[in-house]
This record gives sequence, C-alpha cells and structure tokens, in this order.
Amino acid sequence: MIDRFSFSVAIRHLLYYKGQTLLTMGVVAVSVTLIIFLGALIGGLQKRLISSVTGAIPHVVIRQPERKPIAVWEVATANGVLYLGERVKLQQQKRKIEDWQSWEARLPTFSDNIRAVSPVVEGQAFVNRNEKRKAVTVVGVFPEKHNGVVDIQSKLVQGRFFGLNGGEAVVGFKLADEFALKLGDKIRVVSAEGNVGNYTVAGIFDTGFSAVDSATVFIPLRDAQSLFGVGNAVTTIGLKLQRIFEAKDLAQQIALQVPYETRSWMEDNQQLLSGLRAQSQSSNLILVFTTIAAGFGIASIMITSVVTRLREIGILKAIGATNRQILQIFAIEGTLLAFFGAIAGAIQGVALSLALYSIRVQVSETGRTAEVFPFDLTPDLVIRAIVIAVLVGLAASWYPAWRAARVNAIEVIRGG
Amino acid sequence: MLERNGDVVCELRHVDKVYEGAVPTPALLDINLQVRRGEFLVVLGASGSGKTTLLNIIGLLDTPTSGQVWLAGRNAADLSEEERAALRSRYMGFVFQFHYLLPEFTVMENALLPCKIVGARMVEQNRNRVKELLVRVGLGDRLNYRPNQLSGGQQQRVAIVRALANNPELVLADEPTGNLDSKNGFAVFEMMRFMNRETGTAFVVVTHDERLAQEADRVVVLEDGRIVKDEIQRPAVTHEL
Ligand SMILES: Nc1ncnc2c1ncn2[C@@H]1O[C@H](COP(=O)(O)OP(=O)(O)OP(=O)(O)O)[C@@H](O)[C@H]1O
Ligand SMILES: [Mg+2]
Repeated sequence: MIDRFSFSVAIRHLLYYKGQTLLTMGVVAVSVTLIIFLGALIGGLQKRLISSVTGAIPHVVIRQPERKPIAVWEVATANGVLYLGERVKLQQQKRKIEDWQSWEARLPTFSDNIRAVSPVVEGQAFVNRNEKRKAVTVVGVFPEKHNGVVDIQSKLVQGRFFGLNGGEAVVGFKLADEFALKLGDKIRVVSAEGNVGNYTVAGIFDTGFSAVDSATVFIPLRDAQSLFGVGNAVTTIGLKLQRIFEAKDLAQQIALQVPYETRSWMEDNQQLLSGLRAQSQSSNLILVFTTIAAGFGIASIMITSVVTRLREIGILKAIGATNRQILQIFAIEGTLLAFFGAIAGAIQGVALSLALYSIRVQVSETGRTAEVFPFDLTPDLVIRAIVIAVLVGLAASWYPAWRAARVNAIEVIRGG
Repeated sequence: MLERNGDVVCELRHVDKVYEGAVPTPALLDINLQVRRGEFLVVLGASGSGKTTLLNIIGLLDTPTSGQVWLAGRNAADLSEEERAALRSRYMGFVFQFHYLLPEFTVMENALLPCKIVGARMVEQNRNRVKELLVRVGLGDRLNYRPNQLSGGQQQRVAIVRALANNPELVLADEPTGNLDSKNGFAVFEMMRFMNRETGTAFVVVTHDERLAQEADRVVVLEDGRIVKDEIQRPAVTHEL
C-alpha cells in the first residue's frame, strides 16, 4: 500500500528541488537511452547477420535421405539372389517425396512455430541462350506458397512472381544481366536428366544474395516436375519458422514424425551461431554495467538528499510519521525518478534509433537500398529497459530510505 | 480509539534518565509529574537541568532509564513503534525552538502535516479549523506563502498551529521563544496562552524566561534533573467536553 502522505511529500520534494530531480532523472535517462540504443543496434546487427544466412533459404528442409550405392554383398534379398541391375537402379533414383500433399497438410499442425510450408522441386540445369550457357539451380514452386518461406515477391525489380503460369520463369537480376534478358524473352533450360524446357521471363528479382540473384531460376512446380522427371513428387519441403532459433530442435522433432530426413539452417551455420552467442553475452555485460552505474547514480544522489534533509526527516518523525512512511517517501522518490527518467530515456533512445535507422544507402544497381544501422527496435526492448530502470531505482533507493527511516529525531532536534 | 483518561493527560512515575556513554550522565532523577487537562505548565531551569530530556520523554521521543510514562491511559513501555507514532501524531503536538517547517510546503500545508500523516480523512476534518487557527494567529493572508517568505516569529506561529492541527490533548514546546527577540517571543507566548484557553489543550512549555512563567497556570522548576519546585499559580481553564 502506498501511503498518501509519503507520496505527497515525495512529489513535493521532487518538484521543489528541480535541479537535483532533473540531474537524477538525467542519469537514468542516459542509461536507458544507452540500453535501448545498444540493445536495438546489437539486435539489429544480429538479425542482419542471421538473415544474411537464412534470408534466401527455408529454415528447415525436409527431404529423402541420400541413397548411397551399396555393395552387392550388403544387400540381403528374400531369396538371397541379387541381380546386377538393382544397384544401378538405386543410384539413379532421384531423392523425392511422393506423398508430399499429405505432409504439406499435416506439417502446420506439428508445431505452432511453423509459419509456412512450401513443396519444392529443385534441381541443377543449364540455361542456354544465344550460344551462352550457364549452370543454374532451377526451383519449381507454387509462388504464393513459396513466398511464405522465402520472400521473392517483394524483391521483384520487374514483372511478377505470384500468378506464374506454365512456361514462365522468374530469374535473378544478375542472371538477367548476364544473358541481357528482358521481360518476355525466352530461355532454354536443360536439366541434368537431359530434359528440355522453354520458358518466358515473367519477372526479375534482386534478393541481395549473390548466389540466388545470379544462378537461380524459379518456374512453376508442375514444369519442374516434368523438367526433372519426378512425376507427381517433389524433392523437398521447405519450412519457415516463427522462432528461428528453435529450428534445430524442431527439425529433430519433425524427423521423428516423418519418414524423411530434416535439416535446419542452424546445423549449417554453427560458427555464426556461436559468434552471435558471444556477441549477445558481451552486449548483456555492457547493459548490466550500465544498469549498475545508473543504480549507483540514483543511490548516491538519494543519499545526499537524505543527508541534506535530516532535519525534515527528524521533524516528520517527531510529529508522528512512522518509519514505514519515511521509508516510503524515499522509495517512492527513487521509483518516480527512475520511472520518469526511464520514460525520457526511452523517448530519446527510440528517437535516436529511428533517426539513425532512417539513414539508407543504395546497395544494388537495381536501386535497392538498405539501412546503414540495422536497428531492431521492439516494444519489448523498450518496456524491458523501463521496467529494469524502475526496479533499479527502487533497489537503489532502498539504502537511502533505510538510512532515512533510522534517523533519530532527538538528535536532529537537539542539533538546532 | 484513544482513551482519554479523566483529567490527567500525561503522567510520569519515578522517571530516571541516565545518558549512557563514556561517563554516564544522569539527566532526570525520580521525576513524578501529572499534567492535567487544559493546564498551561511552564518548565523553568538552568541550562543542563534536564528540561529537554523531560519533554522528549513525555513526547515518546526518548525512553526513560527507569520509571513509567503514562499517556492516554496507557503505559508507554507497552506501546509498539507504530502506536508511539500514532500517539505523537494524534494525541500530542510539538513546537521546537527552531521552527522546522518543511520548505517545500506552503504555510497551510505545513500546518496540516500532522493531519496528512494520519490520513486524508483527518485532513478533511481539520482543514477549516486549521485555517481558522492560522487566521487567528494573524497569518490569514499568508496561507500560500513558503516558510522562507516568513519572519521567524511568523514561522513559529505556523509551528504552533501545526502542533494544534489534530486537536491534541497536549502540546509540548521546547523553548519556542528561544530563537526570537523578546517582543516577538512574548507575542508567540501569548499566542500559545490564547490557544490554550480557546482549545482547552494542555501545554508544557520549556523556557528560560521567568517573565513568561508568570503567565502560566503552573510552574515546574528543574535543578540537576530534579523537580525542586512545582507551584500552581491559578486553576487551569477547563472545557466541558
Ligand atoms: N544525548 C546525550 N548524551 C549524553 N548526555 C546528554 C545527552 N543529552 C543531554 N545530555 C545531558 O543531560 C543533561 C540534561 O540535558 P538537557 O538537554 O535535558 O538540558 P536542558 O535543560 O534542556 O538544557 P538547555 O536549557 O541548555 O536546553 C545535560 O547535562 C546534558 O549534558
Ligand atoms: Mg534544552
């Protein structure tokens, strides 16, 4: 219960000694600004790093395990007889998922973390045009589904991705440059299996991922199925997750539930992850020390305040204020100082982050821009900074408040 | 709530006070004293005779080394810290030699502090009374001034009204005029005498000034921690409650 008397004395005191109040709030504001600024910057940098590896790939991929050619003597058949041809057959079989439609429907129910599912037919092929020839990855997709896993639509420089018709293809801008492709131009694609497809360029994209922009061709799933000769099957199912750091665990869990192999982005980027972890730890350390410094700032100013107000405290106690009321005066002051300092600091921190975030530079010849400082400013971060500041304010005023409550009225009155 | 015990607002029984230290200092020796309702009592005595010590013990700011203090019909030794604080805010009022108003509060707010300590209801009950008292001590046009905008005498008058804010049974004043020139000191003393007659609150006033003592109903003289004289000069005003 907050005592009204304590509250009114605290408020009055804060308003009366404006200089001291502003100074204390300033200490808190600066640290909250720092916490928000650093938190948002480090968060943003990490996000940028992570998206630099996950931006153009599904977080989890489901596929048929690779079938290794096995030696004749490893194969035990029912009648113990093995024909030579069988080994060849195993080797050539393309890794594919026949029952993908049922898994596509069931996967979203496996975890609320799964945000999108996209069946994909992927394979290697050559693009031919005017004597030029280049090895590319052909990705057959349902554009609307695939865009939930890897965003292409918003990265389009020209044309369209959604609503791709049979016989149409979407290519990266670097590939388009290399072959001098415009919308409506034709390309000829020859798959590793030897099948040929002719496609009209319907869209050109710029994802910022060099490998994708220079050597990936998107075509409709059906076209890819015939190009790679997989019938009605797909080669992989890609998943997009809400919480990407749970990818590894989720991949392992799914592997137990489907008769296929799974792989997450995390397993392919161990080093990046341990780097990020180290970065998080050092940034947390900075934040902890900032918070502690702010706490000492509040505490030292409050202790000064208690010492200069010994008389007032003594008199209040003499005329009947309880120890609890005196304690509360200072606890309330510390908390209010921290709270309003934190609000001011939050406004500053957010303004500073947004201002720097708005600085953009062009990063690609297609005109795509990116921010110089990749701030990741979440309400969560701001609220956390404020809550921490208030708790620190409360903690920092604990000792001064306790000192104040212990003031001996007689000594003060005698002191004159 | 608070028991008002007949005619006696405060009683000391065989109170001794020895200040412990490198050399233990006896400050009060076998003090027996009853303060009666509505009484205006002046305590005289040389410097170091124990006057402040006596007042602090009555005011529950200090505890006796031995003996008993009775207030509102209760033995102070049996009271918790909270109860002692409650008695100080509701049953008693204090005036100190140095006025000790809070600088960040106005005259009116300072005078209402004891009510605020008790709670919002107490403030509402006493707001008009306190205002009235401030008008009567001549500060009606200074209600919203800050203490540092007042003279010493005016500040002390605010302190007297503050002591009376909760309509207490007993006001304890330690050299309330000690810091004022004789003219202002006399005016402040007169003010207390007047309030005593108006409100029926008992006053225990410590002073060095024998001249002021002549105005009192009763004079107690301390010498080296003992009461050497306890003289009733005139009957106290009694208010039928
Ligand atoms: N905290 C203390 N520690 C030790 N001795 C003390 C303390 N307070 C008072 N004394 C002693 O107790 C005795 C009585 O002091 P007290 O302050 O009650 O006197 P007083 O009558 O109020 O004097 P004055 O008129 O100067 O205010 C003195 O001898 C003083 O030195
Ligand atoms: Mg004294």
